[in-house]
Amino acid sequence: MAQPLPFIDYERIRTVHDTPLEEMYTSGHRTCQGCESAMVMRHFSKAAGPRTIATGSTGCMYVANTSYMTTPWIIPWMHTQLGAGGSSAVGTAAGIRALQRKGKIPDEKINVIAFCGDLGGGDMGLSGISGALQSDLDLLVILYDNESAANTDIQATGMTTYGAQTTFTPPGKKHRIMQRRWKKNVAPMLAVGHPNCRYVATASATYPPLDFHNKVRKALAIGGPTFIHTFDPCPKGWDFHPQYSREIGELGIKSGIFPLYEIIDGKVEYTYDARGKQRTPVREYLMKQGRFAHLADEDVEYIQAHVDTMWDEWELPGVAPFKGELQLAKA
Amino acid sequence: MIKRVEINYRGIFQKTLAKRIGGDIVVIASRMGKVGFSNGRYSDSPERNGIPCKYFAFVSPDLQEEELEAECGAKLDIDEADVSVVLDDTMVKGVEPWGWHGIRPINEKIIPNGCLLIVSRKDVGDLTKFVARRDFTYRVTTLEGDANLAGLWVFKDDLTHERVLGAISAVDPDVISIDAVADYLVAKTGEERRALAAREAHDAVLRRMEPVTPNDGIVWPHKAPELPKWHAFSIGAAVPAVERGFEMGPGGQSRNASFRRGTTKSLRPVVRFDLCIGCTLCWLDCPDECFDPIDGKLFDVSYDYCVGCGKCAVVCPVPECIVMVDELRFEDNSSPWEHYRRDPAGYIAWAEEKKGRIRVSYPHVTGTGRDVREAVGPPAKLGE
Amino acid sequence: MAVANDPRVWDRDELLTGCQAVSQAVRLADVDVVAAYPIRPYTEVMDGISKIIADGQLDAEYIIADSEHSQFEIVKHASSVGARAFAGSSGTGWMYGFEALVVAATDRLPVLFLVGNRALDDPGAFGVEHNDAMAIRDMGWLLCWTSTAQEALEHILIGYRIAEDSRVMMPMAVAMDGAFLTHSQHMVKMPSQEAVNRFLPPYNLGARRLHPDNPISIAPQANEDWVLEIRRQNWEAARSARQVIKDAYTEWNAVFGSDRYASPYFDEFMTDDADTVLIGLGTVSMPARTAVRRLREKGHKVGYVNLRWFRPFPTEELRACLGRFKAVGVIDRDFAHGSPDDGGIVLHEVRSTLYPLRERPVVTNFICGLGGRDISIDDCLRMFDITMAARDGKHTPEVVSWLGLRE
Repeated sequence: MAQPLPFIDYERIRTVHDTPLEEMYTSGHRTCQGCESAMVMRHFSKAAGPRTIATGSTGCMYVANTSYMTTPWIIPWMHTQLGAGGSSAVGTAAGIRALQRKGKIPDEKINVIAFCGDLGGGDMGLSGISGALQSDLDLLVILYDNESAANTDIQATGMTTYGAQTTFTPPGKKHRIMQRRWKKNVAPMLAVGHPNCRYVATASATYPPLDFHNKVRKALAIGGPTFIHTFDPCPKGWDFHPQYSREIGELGIKSGIFPLYEIIDGKVEYTYDARGKQRTPVREYLMKQGRFAHLADEDVEYIQAHVDTMWDEWELPGVAPFKGELQLAKA
Repeated sequence: MIKRVEINYRGIFQKTLAKRIGGDIVVIASRMGKVGFSNGRYSDSPERNGIPCKYFAFVSPDLQEEELEAECGAKLDIDEADVSVVLDDTMVKGVEPWGWHGIRPINEKIIPNGCLLIVSRKDVGDLTKFVARRDFTYRVTTLEGDANLAGLWVFKDDLTHERVLGAISAVDPDVISIDAVADYLVAKTGEERRALAAREAHDAVLRRMEPVTPNDGIVWPHKAPELPKWHAFSIGAAVPAVERGFEMGPGGQSRNASFRRGTTKSLRPVVRFDLCIGCTLCWLDCPDECFDPIDGKLFDVSYDYCVGCGKCAVVCPVPECIVMVDELRFEDNSSPWEHYRRDPAGYIAWAEEKKGRIRVSYPHVTGTGRDVREAVGPPAKLGE
Repeated sequence: MAVANDPRVWDRDELLTGCQAVSQAVRLADVDVVAAYPIRPYTEVMDGISKIIADGQLDAEYIIADSEHSQFEIVKHASSVGARAFAGSSGTGWMYGFEALVVAATDRLPVLFLVGNRALDDPGAFGVEHNDAMAIRDMGWLLCWTSTAQEALEHILIGYRIAEDSRVMMPMAVAMDGAFLTHSQHMVKMPSQEAVNRFLPPYNLGARRLHPDNPISIAPQANEDWVLEIRRQNWEAARSARQVIKDAYTEWNAVFGSDRYASPYFDEFMTDDADTVLIGLGTVSMPARTAVRRLREKGHKVGYVNLRWFRPFPTEELRACLGRFKAVGVIDRDFAHGSPDDGGIVLHEVRSTLYPLRERPVVTNFICGLGGRDISIDDCLRMFDITMAARDGKHTPEVVSWLGLRE
């Protein structure tokens, strides 16, 4: 039986004019022009407010933010290792909880938020995130996904899309497609695997406006361990001009390539329901990025077919790759 | 003899271009019987879109390779440059590649009688007015053209690469000769037009070359930051957070004072405050938190920190309200809203003059072109 | 040696394994966060702590981690918010989380770890070998060996005091021989909570505590402009630790009315008039001391140095001590394949310490006891034979002997 969301001090924002004006992550970081992951940093911290401790694992949002011994963070923040996103959240939250319970520091709600990239979250740090989502600590893990190991100058990770060019997957004279893996479906994997985790969501920092901000609030309010996976168009790695970051994000969502939803106490709620409706052809999304410039028609069709399957054939469209009704195995 | 070439470029946008130029200098010099090697500046890595970066090439006609390496290699930065190439002219306003580096002049490394070679459509005087005053004479010239901006995967093959090689051979033939450049280009690509472009560039930059004297440029206003001694900062790599601070008004948001990275931009957003409808999307969508809320409707721009990504211009729903304009048209980073508040009509006239009638934009895949079109009418004030 | 039996200072005596003694110390230290992960032979430390928590004797967060890497990261981050944290491991598990261990040191976080010394994989042996704990010796850690359960319990407490000192702020590994010390049961004197509270001040990170009331950024990325200076800071801390260690033992002796730790860094056994000594770490001290007694009965002037502190290395004190002897046999329950003269880790440290002396003792080296192989009294007698032969100029050129090897 789903619990109603507890009403703490994490109200949804209804319009842009209700957005808190104060920054908790401010100018003076070395991110690319148009960086969507920087938007994720900005808006999660804005949503969480000053009574927050953040940890950030190695990746773009480490090296590009804390630009050589300076910092853009206004909230307290600590670096953690590439695969330690989940465990840093656990350690921080456990430390705070112990100290508060034992009366060594004042008792109050302190948000604990750990962020990691697609490499640190989807690949290396997966076991740590799993441990975090099994715990009973109040914490939020944000996986900001720019679909590459971006900080090391763009290599493929488990969450890179099929066909994308990276330095590990260059098109060559013999093989046009070196990136043959389909994107790992991390958010649903975590939702299925951790039944006590009450909130798993996907989001984009700019589209729809305020959606990510409100999802962060929801996660922080609901209690226990929570997880949000964000879709971060990356001008550097995807090769598009920075001014189009928001547009690329919107196209990724409207084409159905990046499903946008929440799973709250086990119930799936689509933020953007790409079932049935006229999805934007994936070609429109792909052709606007240099990382797909080498794709042939058959590659685009393959991707389109895969996306169509996600939405037309999966039992939980866009969410989980289970097909058809439950059947008993034949003897 | 050692010849040192530094290539100043916009990170990622010109990464491939800079590396090709630097690498080709070495290959061409090698074909001429010289020794050489090239490398990027390691601390620029990982590059970010727009951040000013450097690539280096070193050449010698008479030293052993290991002597050249001993003098110029295994070092983080160049000591001095015979030729300083600037692939995006907006970098003449100064370059700050990372925190605690400070904003340094583009001509910091040039030596007496060295040459600053700038890809630009502007006159030399419009460029040298921004550089730091040096106490010797050196040379400057321009290679006429727009900055070649592309991305990591799709290169913009507009002959900038070939023309820069030709230009380098003109400003300092002891690095590489024009004939060697032309021969190499034909040998590598089989395309005569590339060699021709190099030769044309060679001749053109010589015609535009001028001296830069100790009277030119400005007294550099930015001091290089002094880094603390080992015992003078916290253990455990702990630094204070940016102090919390917010109030409505220009500069009302506290920012990271150790890294004002406004030198990342080639374009800056010019705002028509009179047309603004207060939708907040520019402020909301800025990855660099450059907008300061003024009064619940308008937003000031902090140009010190703006990196010129152009998202605000694209997301603004009002035509002509935010337009991206060449960074070189501006002398300082003063608050545009303050200007507007003091003198609204004057500001609007100033803004329109800065914007001009040409609107430059880029296609989605940056390396596939450059979109230039006429502005659609000077926008009237709303409500008139 | 007599230990004062003041009931205000010492509680009951208890039969404890080495691991369990450490569990009790964690209780006495009022640790706030513990992260557990199983690996033989240290696991029982965590078993003990979980029972202590379940019985309400300690209020701490007990996190069962998904891996050693997570385990070590959890306690590192707990420490960063001001929680006193504890973890432990052995052998290949210690190696699994090695990254976190290195970073805890450079982040200057005083977490305590118990290392139940175990052979490194492969072949997955469970028995004692010292290479696991040794692996962090260059990284800016405090590192000591214990050779009794009593010593192990006490060094968790002494360890927190030293590690958390503002002049030090380094993580610490307390090493304990796997099986022989981790699993054997001895009568241990339990310090009273009241005495421990007098000895061990609360953990205070000061301006580096991560909390919304103290907004800081910890470990921004930094390049060549900063690394040399940061390393110099850590180097300074390791040097300063030597005095802090001495002060900690002085305080311990005062509070607990004992003089067992007359010399903080190492114990000397029958060395006053010795001309030949062996030096080693951990439980090898037992057969070694027995061998000393037997040889003394025969008139040989031999002794044993039980080295406790490995990092910071007690250079001055050990140089002064070993410099008195004609021959020193270094026992290495570890390996350093391909190192100078193919000797063990401790050999290199000892030789380096002795180098500045004009008159240096002859040094021999014994690699033995790896993977849990016994080091017997006879082995120690053999070591003395070889070393005394070296003293007399009769030793063969090889510095290193492998003892107990089937060959």
